[in-house]
Amino acid sequence: MNLRRASAEAKLILIAIPILIWTLLPIYHILLFAISRKDSAFAGNLWPDQPTLRNFGAVVRQEHFFLYHFWQQILNSIWIAFATGALTLFIATFAAFAISRLRVRGGRLAMNVALFTYFIPAAFLAIPMYKAMSVYGLLNTSWALIMSMVVIASPYAIWVLKQASDKLPIELDEAARIDGASPPQLFRMVYLPLIAPSMVAIGTYALLLAWNEYLYAFLMLSKETNVTLAVALGHFLSADDSPWELLMATGLLYALPPAAIYYAFRRFMVTGLTAGAVKS
Amino acid sequence: MASVRFHNITKVFDKVEVLHGVSLDIADGEFTVLVGPSGCGKSTLLRLLAGLEEVSSGEITINDRVVNEVESKDRDIAMVFQSYALYPHMTVRENMGFSLRLRKTATSLIEERVAEAARILDLAPYLNRLPRELSGGQRQRVAMGRAIVRDPQVFLFDEPLSNLDAKLRAAMRAEIKSLHQRLRTTTVYVTHDQIEAMTMADRIAVMNAGRIEQVGEPLELYDRPVNLFVAQFIGSPAMNIMRGTLSAANGGCMVEALGALWPIPAATTLAPGRRVHYGIRPEHLRLSDGPGIEGFIAVVEPLGAGTELVVRVGDTQLVLVSNYRPAVHSNDSIRLVVDAEHVHLFDEVSGMRID
Repeated sequence: MNLRRASAEAKLILIAIPILIWTLLPIYHILLFAISRKDSAFAGNLWPDQPTLRNFGAVVRQEHFFLYHFWQQILNSIWIAFATGALTLFIATFAAFAISRLRVRGGRLAMNVALFTYFIPAAFLAIPMYKAMSVYGLLNTSWALIMSMVVIASPYAIWVLKQASDKLPIELDEAARIDGASPPQLFRMVYLPLIAPSMVAIGTYALLLAWNEYLYAFLMLSKETNVTLAVALGHFLSADDSPWELLMATGLLYALPPAAIYYAFRRFMVTGLTAGAVKS
Repeated sequence: MASVRFHNITKVFDKVEVLHGVSLDIADGEFTVLVGPSGCGKSTLLRLLAGLEEVSSGEITINDRVVNEVESKDRDIAMVFQSYALYPHMTVRENMGFSLRLRKTATSLIEERVAEAARILDLAPYLNRLPRELSGGQRQRVAMGRAIVRDPQVFLFDEPLSNLDAKLRAAMRAEIKSLHQRLRTTTVYVTHDQIEAMTMADRIAVMNAGRIEQVGEPLELYDRPVNLFVAQFIGSPAMNIMRGTLSAANGGCMVEALGALWPIPAATTLAPGRRVHYGIRPEHLRLSDGPGIEGFIAVVEPLGAGTELVVRVGDTQLVLVSNYRPAVHSNDSIRLVVDAEHVHLFDEVSGMRID
């Protein structure tokens, strides 16, 4: 028995080690560049002879041509990511409540049609979306990107929240109805508190989707002062003599907020709030 | 306080009619139990009364007011669900006060009512706990407390004890009954367990296949079931039923069944030759030292307070319950006598009672 468990664990570790290396290697590479001096970045050492934090200083003080708008661009990224997360949550939560709890006629069909849009790669939709935003006169504003991202994130978000909603016992709604709750009260006082863990997960998903987006941001935003940091990082590569150590230092800073969000919300990523509602 | 009236109720789900014209009057303050096998429509009837489903035709009235089109929340009812349906994110206190909070009741009054309900149900020490921190019996009591604080016109219970173990179920049964005796609120209680029905009800409505078979006080149903279904459903162990033919014998009328002659109540006069179902409850069969119907003991089940015997007569097994400990063993040959005044006869074809 113990032997079998040990062998199962050994197998898991054998699989885990390559995956871990595969995941961590690029991050190690970024870190290596970010703490190297410009002249030793390509030296091929496993660890720089003289590690330095000067690259980070250069980034936050905007001391390079590519970094003149660093703070503005990271603020753009933050604003767009949070607005996308909030709007997606707003739409998806109401939609999931309507489809799953109120059983609105045609709700499931609407959800399936929305999911069907994922059959078309987002890259194909970029041009029509660009056109649409241009018609709305939103090009070069953050709303163009926010709205595109919400469109892309919503079907999945609705689907996930609907699945989570379906797991809440229907008796809760019935009890609340008899207790005198109107649908808005049911939504606010019973549904929202119970669906909150899934909302955190979905909000994070939409937020990171927008945070990491490159193509749409590149297409719809073109001024140095309104692009996101993702696009700004891409600009680094336009030089003949790219400042790799600054690119990697900026990239590392760029990766910090998502990591922080994951860390902060890891508690909500697990469900279990519904325990005790009904006897199963 | 309120009376409830179902008038010719039908309910159709997806073209399947599950209730076929059910009528039932429930008096003010009465504890009525709807009992029947699963799928008989008892829960549907309760949900119609709760306003969780809409009637297909017919009328439901609460206190002479037709409520067919009235929202659940405006029917002034409270319901206890089989699964308890407690709000998992709210404490016991918040769960119980929720309906009053929705009605914008003053906080001090909510506190007072919750405290009173908690006192009645022994929940005072748990008011600040979440449902998941309570045992099954405690959750059940919270669900009842949530109903009590409303002080509704009608209490609805949908199989509230099914999820509890046997011992707790018996305790909660007594608790619900004493609660009703204290509050005298009109109560409609759904269960598939005829023991719950017998022990708790003022009146029982036995349902089967979308119809009410019989309505009456528990002992009335037990002593005078109107048909074969009620006779077999009410009572545990169930009534012994055998097919037989009325025949003239020993200067009177008897039923010939399983190769023996079985007595019937003296007052019953029926034409010989009629084919019937002959029913006798286990406690109305006795072992005889003298003459009687011959059989064999198949199983002896000592219950402590008494003994349950499975007796083989002909090719049929009959159950006998005695309140002493007879000195018999499996395969013993025995003789049975029947308490003739407690015999039930039912028509062979219609299954209706014959008096």
